[in-house]
Amino acid sequence: MSVETIVTDKAGLQKFYEAIIAKNETYAPVEKFGKYDFKLVKNLSECDPESPIAKTMSAKPLFFPRSAKIMKYVATSAGTDVSETDEDPLAGKRVIVGMKHCDARALQVLDKVYNWDFIDTDYQKRRLNTVVISTRCDKAETHCFCTSLDYDVENLDAMDVLIVNGNDGKVYIKSKSEKGIEFLNSGVTSHTSRVTEEAAGEELKKQYTAFSASFRLKMDYKSINEKLSKIFDTPEFENVSSNCVSCNTCAFVCPTCHCFKISDEKVKDTGVRYKSYDSCNNGYFTLMAGGHNPRPAKYRRWRQRAMHKFVYYKERFGENLCVGCGKCTTSCPVNISIFEVINQVSK
Amino acid sequence: MEQLLVPMICKIDKVIQETPDVRTYRLKFKEEGLMEKFNWMPGQFVEFSLLGSGECTFCIASSVTRKGYFDCSIKRAGVVTADIHTLLDEGDEVGIRGPYGNWFPLDDIKGKNLLFVGGGIGLAPLRSLIQYCIDNRNDYKDFTILYGARTSADMCYKEEIKEWQENKSLKVILTIDRPEESWTSNVGVVPKILEEVVKPEIANTKVITCGPPIMIKYTIQSLLKLGFADKDIITTLEMKMQCGLGKCGRCNIGSTYVCKDGPVFTNEQLKKLPDEF
Repeated sequence: MSVETIVTDKAGLQKFYEAIIAKNETYAPVEKFGKYDFKLVKNLSECDPESPIAKTMSAKPLFFPRSAKIMKYVATSAGTDVSETDEDPLAGKRVIVGMKHCDARALQVLDKVYNWDFIDTDYQKRRLNTVVISTRCDKAETHCFCTSLDYDVENLDAMDVLIVNGNDGKVYIKSKSEKGIEFLNSGVTSHTSRVTEEAAGEELKKQYTAFSASFRLKMDYKSINEKLSKIFDTPEFENVSSNCVSCNTCAFVCPTCHCFKISDEKVKDTGVRYKSYDSCNNGYFTLMAGGHNPRPAKYRRWRQRAMHKFVYYKERFGENLCVGCGKCTTSCPVNISIFEVINQVSK
Repeated sequence: MEQLLVPMICKIDKVIQETPDVRTYRLKFKEEGLMEKFNWMPGQFVEFSLLGSGECTFCIASSVTRKGYFDCSIKRAGVVTADIHTLLDEGDEVGIRGPYGNWFPLDDIKGKNLLFVGGGIGLAPLRSLIQYCIDNRNDYKDFTILYGARTSADMCYKEEIKEWQENKSLKVILTIDRPEESWTSNVGVVPKILEEVVKPEIANTKVITCGPPIMIKYTIQSLLKLGFADKDIITTLEMKMQCGLGKCGRCNIGSTYVCKDGPVFTNEQLKKLPDEF
């Protein structure tokens, strides 16, 4: 794969964004009440591609909507008819700008569960038709720990186009996939100059070194993963989860949480069936008809959450289900940090 | 439209009131030709929807060798099942997705003695395999069915059990928890009858068991005490499920998806799972 790197400056980057928005269906972080969410934008002034991780919702809802219609139906005594719902608004060709590496990585992780055995064609279509443009952070935020996990943040190739703000004041735009190369050649980069990868390599490395030195949270992933897989019965889970109010916010903001529920809404004869977010922290999550519940206590649900993220998913699909973005910690109303939880229990 | 989650429509052909709280729904696909294409293995399950109330997971209680229909036996236990019992009758239509999950290890049990141990509604998934094995009777050696229920009224498939009892090639042992006036068979819980009355042959025997969690627990203990190996004890798990596709995360136990890797497990496999039950 030939890799193209384009060097420009801050003004050139703005022009790059403007060209993308003008030519494509573009999603970018849009601010509302101090928080950012990925929305369809028409102008660069509406959005902020450099929004902070902690205050930005993940891009997950663009691939796995918070609530999606499965089908519409009419059920009367005369019979039942299932009809298609409206066209999927997320299935068209589109570009996402302003994603961060943790968010891009999350899509790579989610691909595994959606593409094993039964293939989720809706998810797949959304993935195929999307160009992911990810900006590498300059500085770690308070609850970030992406560099401590099982993936190489520096050489991550989960995105189609990578943007790095170099310490030399220049901006490097690099294609990371075939889709990315095609995109960079679609007339969105006419204002910028192209260089070889070697020329840019050194500056990218410098930027990464400075970025990776800015982390407050660090851990040894391998030993944590090993220890966690052996301590299913530790009473420590009760201590770390005692403050949890089971509000499920952590799962909703998480870029990799993918549990969902199926529910019906019916008025008279017509109804809609929905697929919407759910969470293993929810007390009703595993409650069965008749009252049996394998995870009735909070600590059991927290154990499932921690173990699924750091042990089970890795066992099953070879990837860690936590990408270290810290969104759950920032959003938690009682300040539970997943980083502290796993470090505490595996002490 | 989330393609994977859209059900096909089935028509209820017949409703059989098995016990005061269990009904068997005999289903046929509404669309022409679909029933012939619908193939399942004993032990697999379907997602059954009563549109408007919700979707539930039920095992298919009949065998693919009995052509032209399939059965779901439903116990009134929760919100949706209560609606099913109240609202659904012959001629009504329901949504079905499936079949999902793995199945009983047909290759492993071929040529072996079979011992079925069922309790209450737990006979439903076993019935699919029992029918399958009866229809291929020559493939198996001794054939024993031990079935227990709380009272004689709580026994499912009463008519079919009579047929099984009349079938000379099967051995059927019934038990209820407490004595009743007109009851002439065994009295006592399943594990007790298993040890004291059935006294199964260990060598070359596969045990297939299903019932309420507490019964499974003590039955497995009894079987191990009698000398059965973990790999010869086969059971089918009950776990909250919704998608049946290995996506929604509800049936996760450790790295296992009960809906994909199960619901049928040997005791050897169960022992490796984290102790969440």
